[in-house]
Amino acid sequence: MNILIKSARIIDPKDSKFHQTTQDILIENGLIKEIATAIEAKKDWTIIEKENLHISRGWFDSSVSLGEPGYEDRETIENGLNVAARSGFTAVAVNPNTHPILDTNADISFVKSRAFNKAVDLYPIGALTVKSEGKDLAELFDMKNAGAIAFGDYQRSISNPNLLKIALQYVQSFDGLVFSFPQEDQIAGKGVVNEEVNATFLGLKGIPALAEELQIARDLFILEYTGGKLHIPTISTAKSVSLIREAKAKGLDVSCSVAIHNLLLSDNVLKEFNTHCKVLPPLRTENDLQALRKGLEDGTIDIVTSDHNPIDVERKNVEFDYALDGTIGLESAFGALNSIVDTELAVSLLTGGQERFGIASPGIGVGEKANLSLFNPDIEYEFSEDDIFSASKNSAFLGRQLKGKAYGIIANDQLILND
Amino acid sequence: MSQLSVDHLLGIKYLKAEDIELIFETADHFKEVINRPIKKVPSLRDITIANLFFENSTRTKLSFELAEKRLSADVINFSASQSSVKKGETLVDTVNNILSMKVDMVVMRHPNPGAGVFLSRHIDASIINAGDGAHEHPTQALLDSYSIRERLGEVGGKKVVIVGDILHSRVALSNIFALKLLGAQVKVCGPKTLLPKYINSLGVEVETDLRKALEWCDVANMLRVQNERMDISYFPSTREYTQQFGVNKTLLDALDKEIVIMHPGPINRGVEITSDVADSKQAIILNQVENGVAIRMAVIYLLASKIKK
Repeated sequence: MNILIKSARIIDPKDSKFHQTTQDILIENGLIKEIATAIEAKKDWTIIEKENLHISRGWFDSSVSLGEPGYEDRETIENGLNVAARSGFTAVAVNPNTHPILDTNADISFVKSRAFNKAVDLYPIGALTVKSEGKDLAELFDMKNAGAIAFGDYQRSISNPNLLKIALQYVQSFDGLVFSFPQEDQIAGKGVVNEEVNATFLGLKGIPALAEELQIARDLFILEYTGGKLHIPTISTAKSVSLIREAKAKGLDVSCSVAIHNLLLSDNVLKEFNTHCKVLPPLRTENDLQALRKGLEDGTIDIVTSDHNPIDVERKNVEFDYALDGTIGLESAFGALNSIVDTELAVSLLTGGQERFGIASPGIGVGEKANLSLFNPDIEYEFSEDDIFSASKNSAFLGRQLKGKAYGIIANDQLILND
Repeated sequence: MSQLSVDHLLGIKYLKAEDIELIFETADHFKEVINRPIKKVPSLRDITIANLFFENSTRTKLSFELAEKRLSADVINFSASQSSVKKGETLVDTVNNILSMKVDMVVMRHPNPGAGVFLSRHIDASIINAGDGAHEHPTQALLDSYSIRERLGEVGGKKVVIVGDILHSRVALSNIFALKLLGAQVKVCGPKTLLPKYINSLGVEVETDLRKALEWCDVANMLRVQNERMDISYFPSTREYTQQFGVNKTLLDALDKEIVIMHPGPINRGVEITSDVADSKQAIILNQVENGVAIRMAVIYLLASKIKK
């Protein structure tokens, strides 16, 4: 297939000589053939011409939950990857929170096989412990051989510190990356939202910031002792940012991510008991939001993620305490992020995660594999159900103003556009 | 003002001060009614009310039912133990099934904060929140303020301390909102483990010394320790709790004024309040119960008058 992209503004802050230039790009059989200010179209070529078209390296999301296997009514792998593509993502890491939990070579192989030949690359995260029960290590090496890129129990904390110690030591022989969800469960108790003014006002049980910070402090102590590679997914408090900043300054091999909704929405949005805003970690305060954004700018936070988590309406349209945690986020990811940071930083954050997971990220140059995200960074709109492609519609961003929208992707010699 | 600004009573936080004044004035009238030989008025003969109790209640349920019957409304009762909730039916489906039988108003108690707010988005009937988790219990707060007004003339400017388990209490939260709205000063008093960390953001002061709190206040509202809502021990023993936060005659006699003692019930005699205090003239606990019927009649009457038939 030959694709000619017309007049695209290239955003490639990493190292492209075409960064911030407007070019035509010719793609032939999945490879970039030519980049020039004007390329003449030939018959039978697919021409892409879009308003205010921008392109960048393909975006990566490090935390996506798809329902398959087990919760296909929430989302299937096929549709989930299509959602990712239409939202501008060329690669996603999927969480093991399926049914059954992805904790064996066979589970990882199954998920990989369901993504075979798709435009979007799927990278499974294997469960760290058997059934994610937090007791015994799963067969991590075996899962790595099947394609698992990291190991974690999604939003289940590792309550036993010795287990984390052993995990961090064990994975070193095969350079494994361990996830530790930042929540001390005893302190979090039965909390459902951030413990602060709004929780008090609404009579909802709170999860103190302390629950997150205590766990991170513990994990960093353990990491200092064991060595190895630790990733702390979805941090949400100001002090968490400082803890990780200090650890990085010390030279520890730690990375962390933040969920985009934790960057944009504070617990002020809970006023009407909106279950779409019931997420884990919970939405925190404005002060936390500012500290997290600072963490993005100074590089303390390595990765942003949509923490995409489709939940069926039956488990969201219920009393607040009974609603499951989670929001979908792929569709709103770019528009939300791009409305709080400039487009260059947004692109850097969406393309910066691959390295940590050892995933190749082809550049924008002649001869490179075409792995591109297409988008318009300037369009402003109210995010509505029409913008949702997911099977589940549980978005915390419904009704909110966003800036920027993906047109789609070109990856694995496939073109997927969202119109 | 002759009408409430709201269509439901979901919490005090959704009311204006004028709403409360209107409820009080209406309650004055109904209080006179319930002290007549014939305690009943025909006001709501065309209204059907469903009392939905998804959590146990004795006094609140009785008080509502009596208020409804004295207004001549038709009443149906439903409680979770005999319901289809246990068969997996959702709250919205359960309530809509009942509403299909042409019910105009729902009085609901529910263990989850925000259950009333959630329901109000999905059903087409007037809702009165009779307690939702640790969120609100608005009629209790209204009857408490009404009882203070009755005893002391007004609520504005009065000093009220709420003592005990604030953390698990919807009564505390609704009381704080109502008292602040009416211009009272409010302190909360209890062990730090039973006070929400951010409670002062609601404009109340925290006092952990009961003696000082009593010296400061005009009214002490003693709350029950809600052991049934606690997953761990928030204090070592009831005995030790009483030593620090129980009101007794000696404490009250040492004050240079006579303060008003309130309690939303049920009382744990000898724990948060001794018998001699509970039964003293200072205590208005039974007045609160009586006023509860008048207040609930007022709320039901005012909300019913907004229902378009």
